[in-house]
Parts: sequence; structure tokens; C-alpha cells
Amino acid sequence: MLASFDVIEVLLALCLTGSAFVCLFDRHLVRASCFFFVFAGAMVLAWLKLGAPWLAASELLLGVLLTGLCFFYALGLLSPGASAPLKHDKFSHPWSRVAMRVVLALAWFVMVGAAIRYVIGDMMYSPAEHPLLLAGVLIAALALAAFALHRHLFRRLLAFNLLGSGVFILLAGVAGTSAAAQMLISVGLLVACLGTMLGALLIRQLLHLEGVEALGRDGKPQRSKA
Amino acid sequence: MNAAWLPLTALATSLLVAVTIFALPEEARRLRTTINIGAAVVKIILVTLMVRRVAAGHEDIFSFQVIGGLDFVLRIDALGVMFAGLSSLLWLCTTIYAIGYLEGSANRKRFFGFFSLCVASTIGIALADNLFTFLIFYEMLTLSTYPLVVHRGTEQALNAGRVYLRYTLSAGVVLLLGAVLLNNLTGDQSFSSEEGLGDYLNDHRGLLTLIFILLVSGLAVKAAMVPLHGWLPRAMVAPAPVSALLHAVAVVKAGAFGILRVVYDLYGIELSVELGVITGLAVAASITIIYGSLRAIAQQELKPLLAFSTVSQVSYVILGIGIFGPFGTVGALAHLLHQGLMKVTLFFCAGNYAEELGIHRIDEMDGAGKRMPLTSIAFTIGALGMIGLPPVAGFITKWYLGVGAIQAEMYWVVAVLVASSTLNAMYFLPILHRLWFRPGPSHGKGSWPHEQRLGRLETHGWLLWPMVFTALISLGAGLFAGLPYSPLDWAARVASGEYLP
Amino acid sequence: MTWRFGLFDSTFAPLVSTHWALLVALVFPLLMGGLAALFPPKRAWPVVLASVPLLASGGVLLIAFQEAGLLGWQWEIAGLILSLRLNGLSVLLLLTTQCIVVAAALYTPGHFRLTEPGPLARWLWPLMGVALSALSLIWLATDLLTLYIALELMGLAAVGMLMLSGKAPALLAGMRYLLLALVGSLTYLLGVALILGQWGRLDLQGLAEVIEPGPVAWFAAALIGAGLALKAALFPLHAWLTPVHENAWTPVSALHAGLVIKASMFMLLQLWSILLPDTFYAPRIIAWLGLLAIVWGGLLAWRTDSLKTLVASSTVAQLGYLMVAFPLLLGPDIAPLPRALAWEGFWLQLVGHAFAKAAMFMAAGNLILATGEHTLKGLAGTSRRLPLSLLVFGIASITLMGLPPSSGFTAKWMLLEAMIITQQWWAVAALLTGTLLTAAYVFRMFRYSFDETAPRHRYQPLAPGMDLIAMLLALTAFALGLLAHFPLELMHGGSP
Repeated sequence: MLASFDVIEVLLALCLTGSAFVCLFDRHLVRASCFFFVFAGAMVLAWLKLGAPWLAASELLLGVLLTGLCFFYALGLLSPGASAPLKHDKFSHPWSRVAMRVVLALAWFVMVGAAIRYVIGDMMYSPAEHPLLLAGVLIAALALAAFALHRHLFRRLLAFNLLGSGVFILLAGVAGTSAAAQMLISVGLLVACLGTMLGALLIRQLLHLEGVEALGRDGKPQRSKA
Repeated sequence: MNAAWLPLTALATSLLVAVTIFALPEEARRLRTTINIGAAVVKIILVTLMVRRVAAGHEDIFSFQVIGGLDFVLRIDALGVMFAGLSSLLWLCTTIYAIGYLEGSANRKRFFGFFSLCVASTIGIALADNLFTFLIFYEMLTLSTYPLVVHRGTEQALNAGRVYLRYTLSAGVVLLLGAVLLNNLTGDQSFSSEEGLGDYLNDHRGLLTLIFILLVSGLAVKAAMVPLHGWLPRAMVAPAPVSALLHAVAVVKAGAFGILRVVYDLYGIELSVELGVITGLAVAASITIIYGSLRAIAQQELKPLLAFSTVSQVSYVILGIGIFGPFGTVGALAHLLHQGLMKVTLFFCAGNYAEELGIHRIDEMDGAGKRMPLTSIAFTIGALGMIGLPPVAGFITKWYLGVGAIQAEMYWVVAVLVASSTLNAMYFLPILHRLWFRPGPSHGKGSWPHEQRLGRLETHGWLLWPMVFTALISLGAGLFAGLPYSPLDWAARVASGEYLP
Repeated sequence: MTWRFGLFDSTFAPLVSTHWALLVALVFPLLMGGLAALFPPKRAWPVVLASVPLLASGGVLLIAFQEAGLLGWQWEIAGLILSLRLNGLSVLLLLTTQCIVVAAALYTPGHFRLTEPGPLARWLWPLMGVALSALSLIWLATDLLTLYIALELMGLAAVGMLMLSGKAPALLAGMRYLLLALVGSLTYLLGVALILGQWGRLDLQGLAEVIEPGPVAWFAAALIGAGLALKAALFPLHAWLTPVHENAWTPVSALHAGLVIKASMFMLLQLWSILLPDTFYAPRIIAWLGLLAIVWGGLLAWRTDSLKTLVASSTVAQLGYLMVAFPLLLGPDIAPLPRALAWEGFWLQLVGHAFAKAAMFMAAGNLILATGEHTLKGLAGTSRRLPLSLLVFGIASITLMGLPPSSGFTAKWMLLEAMIITQQWWAVAALLTGTLLTAAYVFRMFRYSFDETAPRHRYQPLAPGMDLIAMLLALTAFALGLLAHFPLELMHGGSP
């Protein structure tokens, strides 16, 4: 069975997962953003591979260009006069919180993954044959864990974007790349892009008003059930 | 011929006044007074018209559909007119009194607005023809009295308001549950239907009893029956006109009137007897009567004393319901009016003593009869009526209740009546003694707590004349009880409708 | 159940005038919003002018529905079927939305004149327009794609509006809301993916026919439910709501609490009625959460010291009333009578609450603006100085408490009756407890306002009409109680 794997697809899947991992868990924010570019580029290729050129185009435009620029804007690298560019996430997490949140997010996602695996026997692409789908599940799980774990707003925004990509791959896996699915995914991409823009604006404004500390002030611990 | 406009207009008079007063500026004192009194007079004319139409055998109904199977219905019937008449008559008196009482104080716009709203609610309660409509106005009454209770805005008043809401809103919830349960069982049940709920007796005996208990305990809070009376003495912090209105007409009477409606018009007296709830009602009423009187004896201040007296006196109405037979019913209905008239007189007097002389405590009242003779005479009339001495109106009620109890062979009720009259005498006679026979500041011994010369007469005219008027009516209701359209005559008409179909 | 949402074939085709009315209802708000961003209105009269065609379109749609019954539209774009329908419920919700948005828009110029909102203020108008269009689209759309688009538009516009005030706490709260809403929409998308993968279509009417209960439907329902519950601030997922409202502008809060949250609720009920017809546990779970919501929201509102938190927490509790009705609407073995009662009670409660909550936020905003205080203690003495704002607050809170003769009361009566027929005593207890808790926190606020002993301070005079608009909304909620017949009649007709 393994032999039937397409080499390019395996490579793509590995590239996606790897870049997503770095992007999610690197405290150096600029580096994480650079890896987001890598990830989004791999996504474009993945869509091409799955036979959805339109999606690839919109991913290129919305995902790579606009969203990526948004991240750099949020970091303060685009506007030279910006007060203090963000470099590192220096917020620490108590261990209890980390453990609880990771377990929570992973448990939820394993459940969903299992459900998708067993509920739908005749998925368009079976995860066993398509490493891209496996990567999708993995990315979504990682991103969800990161989203639940991080306090830094920038990193949560990043995690949301990766979560979105993971969900889109899953969607394509479950529903194929029919017109309806492509429409749904494009709308999703657009929404994610708009959301990221809004988020980037917000982060800049918050930095301007309150300084770096504000980005980690989560208020009450927010359980993110997703 | 159905004059649907009549119940609607009667309701709208007070409602429109409330809206108008809210719209007027605080300073428009004269205009407000004119509107208030004008509307009160119009209301009395409308009620007179209603009385004539009911006497002529007309039935005026106003109704529209709210949701499927549930209507908003106002209907003029003999029992409703009785309550409407009491409320509109006392509205006029209390409004005049309040204008004098609140002169120069703040927030009068709010006061009179909610006052009118309160009266509108009582008219709605009187004319409501099904439980749904009744409930609407009953809750409206709760809400519109709250701003009156907390009117002074002091810590004590605010606390009293909180206690009042705790009791009445919880009661409203209980009542709502009972009403929905009943509506579920029987559909929309009009107060005017002759059938009663007898058809459901065989299959739903337990449920009917449960609903009765829910409805009556919801209503008993407003009627201040023990142990649900706790809000009433505390609500005494309100200004005197509010106390007068709360005690004489609006709130406690709304509760008692609701119980009348439930027993006579919703369940029907036969069914209530059949369920055995009526005896329970009589026992609860007796306990309240005795308890209220005992607590009244222990009071040092005038207004709380009157409050506990109300607790006790309102339950005469309930006791009358509890006595099966026409005499008990006549006694109950007549007392609804008589107690209102006498109690409002007593509260006006208490207000006058407080305004003119600063008297709040009973031991400050020595010799006040010489300084304020008219007020003291009115107080004496009211007090004697409460004790039940002829010829004041209170005597009539106690007489009918006693006769009814003997006819129904409930001799313990007679014992309760005797005991309560004795207790009434024990707390009212010492006050009368102080008023007339003890030397006080007006005899040159000591001084009044806070004396003001409010008018050329013994006090301000706005305060004096309403009180004199209600005192005269309480006297007249007893003296001329045999004349047509007297409270007793009308009560007999309602009761005969109940027992002789 | 699905026929109640108008998911069946219509008898008549819409007239040309109806097409135009639909177009105006959906597109006109966007145009006007854009125009207002270029030329921000300083007074209320341009807003009045702009709202006339809008309300007229609502009126035309109402008349069209009354004449022809259910109306449907369908377009096919690149193999995708997009469809809209207009039934009694959509008309009712559409009119409610238009009225409340217009009221909020009329309120805004006065609010801006008094608060000096800063340079971002002009962006409120287009966002409001987008929100209105998206809301209207949600009430009308009958395919999952259109619903998704509308939901996202509405969500993003709402986030944008909530953060315009530009204060740091607002931004922080808004950021949290944004992230949660986005994650919520991804969850929703995953649920839609399951449906698409299994049944291969997105139109609700077709899905209602082919969907069979089974693990796929359950998982899809769970995912969609979780996503929408997050957006609707249903009980355990409500924590973002209060801080967001704490710092938002008054008209924005009114819109958000009155309408935006309700849209997610509407979608949840609609989609679950297709995915989970006659299931036992899922609606029960929602109802139990609703019970907790009533108690918890009530307690939060009771303990708080801030006026806006009080109003916002009360939303959590009030949503509980709607959640408690879920088993009656979706559960198995419910007789037609209680189901019809619960259905009408549910929407009456929703509409009544929308009006009342909008009015309440405006009244609270007026009180805060006039006194300059955000706490309940700061309200001392307002009963003398700001009686009108307080009266509006009072009338709105009568609806929230469900006391007669408000729409809250009539709705509660209907829900209670349905619950008693089906013998769901715990739900009865929940509704009655809710009444008392609501009364507790509302009168706690009034207690402060009646305090006469507090020191006086200077009050900022309000713009004319600010109280009046709130009053109109509150009175609408109030009058819907006795006049409930008219809105409910809209929903009577319409079985296929």
C-alpha cells in the first residue's frame, strides 16, 4: 500500500507538516511568519495536486500574499516608523495550563479525526492512500493545540490560519473538489484572510496603545472549544 | 346592546392620565392637579353609568384575541362594579389628599403618574373577565406600586420596596403557574360562565385542589394573610396617601377580590365546598384575624398598628367566603367596601396627625382631640367601625358574618369574631382614651413633637376634607344600609346572583 | 418540523415588484453604508431618508407573502444552486431586523455628537450596512453556502463594529471574539463538509428529504452546533460576550445583542431541525445548558456592579429561555399542539427580546452618557433627573422579566403551556426561576436609581430623540404582548 504513495505527495505532506510545526511552535515570531510563507506555498502546490487550480490561485492570492503581508504588518516590519517591532513571544505558560489545554484540544481532535475516519467510509480521498489528508488532520490537530495553548495574540492568529488550512484540506478530503466544495473553501479562505487583516490591525493598535504586555493578557482563561 | 366602550373608557381614563402626567413637566402643578381631579370625577361618572347598566341587566364586554385560545376580556358585572366603585371613589379622595400631603415635596410627577397607573390596574382587576386578563392587571399593580413604596428614597424605604417585591413577585410566579395549569386543563375560562369547573371534578380532583392552592396562595400574599403578610407592615414607610391606597383599595383588596373571583366565579362555591378547600380558607382567615390583632396590640407606633389591623381586617373578607351560605357572602362583599372606607379614613387621620403635629407614636397622642377635633372625630368613627360598634359600617359586616356562621353551624367562627372584636377594642379604645380624655400639650402639658400650622382650620384643607368625607361615608354606609345602592344592598345583589341562579 | 421553516416548493412565483423589494432589502443597506462612510450623517434626517426605501422593501415583502404565501428564488451558478425563500418567519425576522437596525442608525448621530468618537466613527456606517444585509440574507437563505457566506459577513462586520471604539479593553475583547468566532466558523465549515461529503448537496430543502439519522448527521450536527453556539454565546461558551459589550458603542451593542446573536440561534434551530429531527438527547442537552444559563446569567447580572455588564449578562440568561424550548421543538413524540405553542412562543420571545434588549442597551447607554458613571452606584438619584431613560429601561425590563402585558409574558405563557402539556416540569421551573432572577437584578438597579440620599452631580443633557428611539423600541416589545396575534398570524399559514 505504501508503494502506491505518490512521492511528490509524500514530500508535500511532509513539507506542510514540518513548516506548520515550526510556524506554530517557534517563539521567534519573524521566523514563524517566514515559515508561514513556506506553508502557504506548499498549500498552493497541494491544491494543484488535488486538482483544484482555482483554489490554488485563490490560495496564492489570499493565503500567501495578503495573509502573509498581514502577518508582517502585524509584526511591524512593513511600516518603518512603527514603534517596536515584535520579535519574540516571551509569555510563559504554567505547566498545569499547558497540560490541560493540550490534552483537551488533542482529545477533541482525535475524536473528530476518528469520527471522520469511521463515519464516512466512502470519502473522496481515503487518508490511508493520501498522505495529504493525513497531513491535514495532523496540521489541524497541531494548530488547535497551539491555538488553545498560546497566550500571545499573534501566535493565536497564526494558529488560526493553520487550523483553517488543515480544515480546508480535510474538507476537500471528505467532500472532494466539486464546485460546491471549492466554493466553500474559497469563501473560507476569504474569511480567514479578512479575519487576519482585522486581527493584524488590532494587534498593531493594541501595541500602539498598551505595549507588548497587552497581547498576552487573556483575561480569564478562555476555554476554546472548537 | 353591548357598550364595549364603557369598560375600555373606564380603564383608559386612568391610563391616559398616567401617560399625560409622565409627559408633563414636573413644574406643571396646576395642570396636573386639574387633570387628576377631572379624570377622577369622570371615572366616578363612568362607574355610576356602569352601576345603572348592571342594575338594568346589561352586560358590556370588550374583548380581543391575544393568541389562539386566549382572549383579553373586560366585562362589567355586579362584583366588578363594586370594586371599581370603591377604587374610583377612593381615588378621588386620595388624590385630593395626596395633593395636599405632597405639596412642595420632590418627585410629584412620578408619584402621581404611578398613582394613576395603580388605579388603572385596580380598575382592570375589577373588570377582568378571565384569569389571563386578571393576571395582567394584577402584575401591573405590583409594578406600579413599587415606585410609590420607595417614593421617599431613603434606605428604609428602599429596603421595604425590596421586601415588597420579593413577596409579590414570587406570588406572581405562583399565580402564573396556577393560571397556566388551569388554562391547560379547562381552556379559556370566563368568570361569567355559569358552569364552573364541576365537570372536571371526577377526573382531576387532585389537580383542581393543587391549582386552587396555587392560585389562592398567590393571591393571599397581596391579601396579606399570615404567614404571607410580612411585606405590609414594612411598606408603612411610604407616604400616608400611599399607605391609604395600598391598604384600603389597591393592593390588599386586589388580593381579597382575586380570592373572591376564584372561589365564586372560577370554581363556583359548590365545587369549592366539594373540594373541601373552603374550610381551609376559613381556618387560615381566622388565624390571620387573631394573629393580626395580637400583633397590633403590641405596636408602639400608629401606622404599624393600623397595618396589622389591616392584616386582620382583610381576612374578614376571606372568612366570609369561608362561611358557606348567602349571609357569609354578603358579609364578605360588604366588608370589602366597608373596610376600605374605614381604613382609608384611619390612614388619613394618621397622616394628618403626623403632618400637623409630628405625631408618630401612640403615646404622643394625649389630648390631640382638643387640638384637632375633626380629625379625632373621624378617627373615632373609623376605630369604632373597626371594632364593629353600631351604627358604623363595620357593625353591619360583623353582624352578617355572625348570622352566616350560625346558619352554617360554624360556631367556632362566632368565637373568632367575638375574640377579634375584643382584641380590636383592646388596641383602639386606649387610643381613643388618649385622644379625648388624657391631658396633653393642648392642655398646656408638654409639647407636640413637631407642630406646624398648616391651615386656617386644624390642618390644611386638602388634607381635612377628604378625611371628613370618607368618615361620613363610613358612617352613612352603616346608617343607611337598607337603602338601594348602598354597599350592603349591592352585596346582597351579588350574593343572590351567586346562590340563586 | 422542516415545513415550518418554509422548506418546500412554493405555489406562486414572485412578482417583479417582489424581486425589486428583495434586491433593495439585500443590497440597499450596503450602498447606503458606503455612502455614509463617504459623507457621515451629522443629523438624523439623512438616516430617516435612507431608511424609507428599506422599510418599504420590508413592507412590500410582507404584502407579497400575505398575498401569495411562501415565495422562493433559485439561481444556478457554475453547478451550484443558491436559493432563497420568504415565509412568514423570515418576513417577521426581516421586519424586526430592519426596524432595530434603523432605530440604531437613527440613534447613532446623536450619540456621536455627544461622545466625540474619533476618526474611526465613519466606518460604523458601512459595517452596519453589511451587518443588515448579512442578517437579512440569513433569514432568507436556504442553502448552506449562502448561509455560510452570510454568517461570516455578519460575524466580521460585528467584530469590526464592536472594536471601533478603539479603547484597549475593547480591542482586547474584540480580538478574543474575533478569534473565537473564526474558530467557530471553521467548526461550522467542517460540519458542512461532512454533509457535503455524505449527501453531495447543500440546499436545505433537498437535504431535508435525503438526510437520515445516523453517525454522520450526528457529527455534522455536533460540529455545526458547537460552531454556532460559540457565535451565539450559548451558555458554556458565553464568556466573550460581557467584556465585548462592556466597551462597545451603544448602538453597536444594541445591534449585536438584539440581532447578531439571534441569527446564530436561528441557524442552529433550522439546521438541527433538518439534521436531528426527533432526537432525544441533543435538544435535551441544549435545554439543560439553557437551565444553567438562566441561573448563571442571572447570578452574574445580579452580582455585577457595572450597568453594561448587567445588561450583557442578562442576554446570556435570556438565551437560556430559548434553549430550554429546544426539546419541544426538536424532541420526539411531541404532539402538534404543544409543538405549535412552543414554536410560536419561541419566536415571540426571540423577537420581543430583540426589541427589548436593543432598547435596554440604548437606555443604559443614555444613563451612562448622562451621568458619566458606569456603575450601578453612579445611578443614584437618576429617577429624579433622568426619568425618561429610566422609564425606557423599566419598560424594556418588564419584557425581559416576562411580566404582563409584555411580549415576554405572552411568550412565556405559551412556552409554559407547551411545557405543562408535555410535562417537562424542570423546564417550567427554569422559566419561573428565570423570572425571579431577572426581577432580582433589574430591581437591584432600580433600587440604586431611587436612592435620594446620594450627592447630586451634573448631568450631561442628551440629544433629543435618543430617549425617544429607545422608548419606541421598548414600547414595541411591550405592545407585542397583547398584539401577539399579528406577528404570530404570519407564522400560521404555510404548511405545504
